[in-house]
Amino acid sequence: MNKLMKKIMISVVLTGVAFALYQNFSLMPEYQGLNEGLSNYIIKSGLNDTGSLNLITAVLYDYRAFDSLGESTVIFGAVSGIVLILSRKMLPVSSKGLSFIVKRALGIMTPFIALFGFYVITHGHLTPGGGFQGGVILAAISIIFSIVYGSAFDYRRYSPQTKTLFETGGALTFLGLGLAGILMEGAFLQNLGFLTAETGTLISAGSIPYINIGVGFKVGAGLAIIFYSMIQKTFEEDF
Amino acid sequence: MFNNLIFIILFMLGFYALIMKTNLIKNVIGLNLMEAAVFFWVIAFSDIGGEVAIHKMGEEVTKFNDPVPQALTLTGIVIGASTAALLLTLIIELNKFSGTIDRDQLEGLND
Repeated sequence: MNKLMKKIMISVVLTGVAFALYQNFSLMPEYQGLNEGLSNYIIKSGLNDTGSLNLITAVLYDYRAFDSLGESTVIFGAVSGIVLILSRKMLPVSSKGLSFIVKRALGIMTPFIALFGFYVITHGHLTPGGGFQGGVILAAISIIFSIVYGSAFDYRRYSPQTKTLFETGGALTFLGLGLAGILMEGAFLQNLGFLTAETGTLISAGSIPYINIGVGFKVGAGLAIIFYSMIQKTFEEDF
Repeated sequence: MFNNLIFIILFMLGFYALIMKTNLIKNVIGLNLMEAAVFFWVIAFSDIGGEVAIHKMGEEVTKFNDPVPQALTLTGIVIGASTAALLLTLIIELNKFSGTIDRDQLEGLND
């Protein structure tokens, strides 16, 4: 009875808050972002400034690249914390894997998944996609290996040391391009002018493709490490 | 109008799960639902009926959607995934030490 009363009370309160929110939304003006200020500037001259067809990538890796650096630092912090919490006992074997048919089918599919991931990463400045999205696809390969072939296979093929190397390499690529921006252009993470090429080609848009590749490796390796750390403890009792 | 309504429903569902459910994993799901509601609302609010803000070669597009909220939403999604992973890790460790993920049965937190 006590619990039911609690539920009814909280429902009444939430309904009241929802009604107040709805009333507030009706007072809100129409969206004005495109007529003035930052968004207007980015849409008008983003292509000329950065050479990137994808204006969202231009915002992420050129105008607000410092933000993206902080974002990848957040991922690094999460990975560090998770590994610190869960890594008291390093167990290379924690699951056995699925049946033969699934293993064969995924052996055929995996190269195409990897190709799609690299496509999304390297074409981040031309088509929808970028480092974060492609990195998640690359992390999915490691997760599939852990589930289908057993995590011992994943450990042998891509050991946590290799993943750490990829993550550190990605972060150092990002930072190195930022320092190169200081040395050559005068500001941290400034787009490198000498790397620009004809707009629309694969290697164009200054340092944006290289930052994309670094972020992609970093995010993919980071998420793979997170999954590997979690699955280690979860299936420990089976063996 | 519909955007605001769906945002409010999603946000309140997440808030309800966050404060009323005693299972800690359901609390994390509620937190993620609230995040998803905010992201959905930001994207839907900045949609003025134009194209996605990506230039196409040899084609002039006159009306674009705003790219800035989409970039900020990407940042938010990544940080939300990181926090969710860290919270779930803490729940795994808590389950190992106390044998439960129900927050009402945790010893030392009862009043």
